Amino acid sequence: MKDNQTQTQSLVSATTTTSTLQHLKEIAALIDTKEVRRIARAVRLTVGLRRKLSGSVISSFLDFALVPGSEAHTRLSCFVPKGDDMEVDTASSSTSQAPPPPPPPTELEIYCYFILLLFLIDQKKYNEAKVCSSASIARLKNVNRRTVDVIASKLYFYYSLSYELTDDLAAIRSTLLALHHSATLRHDELGQETLLNLLLRNYLHYSLYDQAEKLRSKAPRFEAHSNQQFCRYLFYLGKIQTIQLEYTDAKESLLQAARKAPIASLGFRIQCNKWAIIVRLLLGEIPERSIFTQKGMEKPLRPYFELTSAVRIGDLELFGNVQEKFSKTFAKDRTHNLIVRLRHNVIRTALRNISVSYSSISLQDVAQKLRLDSVADAESIVAKAIRDGAIEATIDHKNGLMVSKETGDIYSTKEPQTAFNSRIAFCLNMHNEAVRALRYPPNTHKEKENEEKRREKKQQEEELAKYMAEEDDDF
Amino acid sequence: MDPQLTEVSQQFERFKAAFARKDYDTCSDLLSQLKVLLTKFTSLPPLFESSPNAAQELTIARDIYEHAVVLSVKTEDQDAFERDFFQLKPYYVDARNRLPPSAQENLILGLNLLRLLVQNRIAEFHTELELLSSATLDNPCIKHAVELEQSFMEGAYNRVLSARQTAPDATYVYFMDLLAKTIRDEIAGCSEKAYDYVSISDARQMLLFSSDQELLNYVNEEHPEWEVKDGSVVFQKAKETAPCKEIPSLQLINQTLSYARELERIV
Repeated sequence: MKDNQTQTQSLVSATTTTSTLQHLKEIAALIDTKEVRRIARAVRLTVGLRRKLSGSVISSFLDFALVPGSEAHTRLSCFVPKGDDMEVDTASSSTSQAPPPPPPPTELEIYCYFILLLFLIDQKKYNEAKVCSSASIARLKNVNRRTVDVIASKLYFYYSLSYELTDDLAAIRSTLLALHHSATLRHDELGQETLLNLLLRNYLHYSLYDQAEKLRSKAPRFEAHSNQQFCRYLFYLGKIQTIQLEYTDAKESLLQAARKAPIASLGFRIQCNKWAIIVRLLLGEIPERSIFTQKGMEKPLRPYFELTSAVRIGDLELFGNVQEKFSKTFAKDRTHNLIVRLRHNVIRTALRNISVSYSSISLQDVAQKLRLDSVADAESIVAKAIRDGAIEATIDHKNGLMVSKETGDIYSTKEPQTAFNSRIAFCLNMHNEAVRALRYPPNTHKEKENEEKRREKKQQEEELAKYMAEEDDDF
Repeated sequence: MDPQLTEVSQQFERFKAAFARKDYDTCSDLLSQLKVLLTKFTSLPPLFESSPNAAQELTIARDIYEHAVVLSVKTEDQDAFERDFFQLKPYYVDARNRLPPSAQENLILGLNLLRLLVQNRIAEFHTELELLSSATLDNPCIKHAVELEQSFMEGAYNRVLSARQTAPDATYVYFMDLLAKTIRDEIAGCSEKAYDYVSISDARQMLLFSSDQELLNYVNEEHPEWEVKDGSVVFQKAKETAPCKEIPSLQLINQTLSYARELERIV
């Protein structure tokens, strides 16, 4: 054997190569079953192998899966970088011994694209990934099989990712729209879900909130198939709603997105929390301190924590300082415009503090405390705050006074009743959603669940958790 | 030169001449002819086909729509403004890489922001704002509109009114005047809630009227529920926060029944 002549180092790499290749062959067998559930599992298993992929593994897998010399094979293998001679040698020697395989099923061909893309992106060969993903999308257009959908939705994702990494997202917008169109016609719901999110991401990347909202409100909606996609959808929806001043809905969407996201996806949850904090501040709520001390979030949320303190105290000067100090972070998070909107909440809070502390205070003093330029400004600002219900007071124009009203006994009104009701409604809703979210694989009641199956299931769940963690790294 | 392009540019010259003469009727006629002519250019949005004259065609089309927007301000036609602005927008957003930037761009974007503010379409205002880069936000035209919105939200109406003097361009005055009317209504709404009564002269000042008679007319037309007596305006306050004496029985029954139903589903 040639292996004997090589150094130990390449021997080790050769053994890992063979074991990875063996894994891949097992996965290929899963795909060959042409069962949607098995294919989904194959995709999950592949992501687990991701770190071990190398040029030689890919090329030998391509030789195994596709007929060498066929059109698909040449098209794909030109993307694989050549390893050193030794490894290519082993790869070719193993294929020469194998009998010529029958023409591969379409699923397997598409899967080859997928694994190649994973490899190219991990190797940071973004331009090759772009070409490869475009080729895969072109190939997918002619395929209409439900069994391919799972792999296809992954391909869409990496297609968009490779363009995003090369900062060329606008170029693929019309292709994505066309793909979404055909996914809808083919009732490929997973594809629709993925593509809609990619489109929203595409629009939001360029701050085209108007277009994003128009697409979102008109695209068909259905029960979510994938939790990750649903989280993303909620996050994008929350962002759109925030920009369009629908703060209450936005808060709901963002908090739900943060809650539903898997624990491992720290980056995504930080993003959700940043937006949720701003929305809550805009609504006049103060987020609890525990939000800022969540594991791993303390540092990234620091600017937002200081912002919250400034709003809570109602100190315009401190608010200005925080805005100045973290202006780079806010510009990077693209939350700068939202924070400008917060100024008016700072004034509100300060006014509320004043009206609680004093039973009557001259407008001159109010202007001074709020650091406003003139008494006239103070008067109209107070008037507006009264109309919007932020403070309970009246203005005595003649004497230039703001007179706070006695706060009535809140328990004599319907207020507690409504608050209680909305909380109960929230809990009931949460329960209903949890029940609805339980998924039952088809025909499980027929199969007897023996020990082996249960083990397999447990293993599958672990894979899923791991896979989610991997997935979110990409985000 | 392409005959179509020549025709358009000649027509456009005539339009500009009429525009300088302030002959706005002729302008509108010429403009509709121009718009029809523009449809023959395939290099314009949304097609963006490449043709030898693409850059020239795009530039002249953008120029025409910019004039159309300004014309609609002069003729005080807000609907036309909206239409023309939407036709113009692709030239600023999608054709950004194909054309050198227009000198008018910030002026027109600022005008549009102001229009949205006047029409109280704050959500759209913020959506438009997101599209602007931080460099654009520092432009005086845009900054003017953004600061107006902030003062408006805070309730510092005096600042909004005094901003009329600092308007960056003559075209802004039309919208600023409209804004003054919106603000009067806002002030009236706020005063109603904030004051028990104010003297007529103070009310006149606050609501920006030049004579008592105008104020009285305004009160009669817009707020008949206000009472004018003893030299002051008395706002009838709806006492909505009075403690409720009645138990809202129907509502309570409904709520309790729905809890029961939900609980049954859980158990």
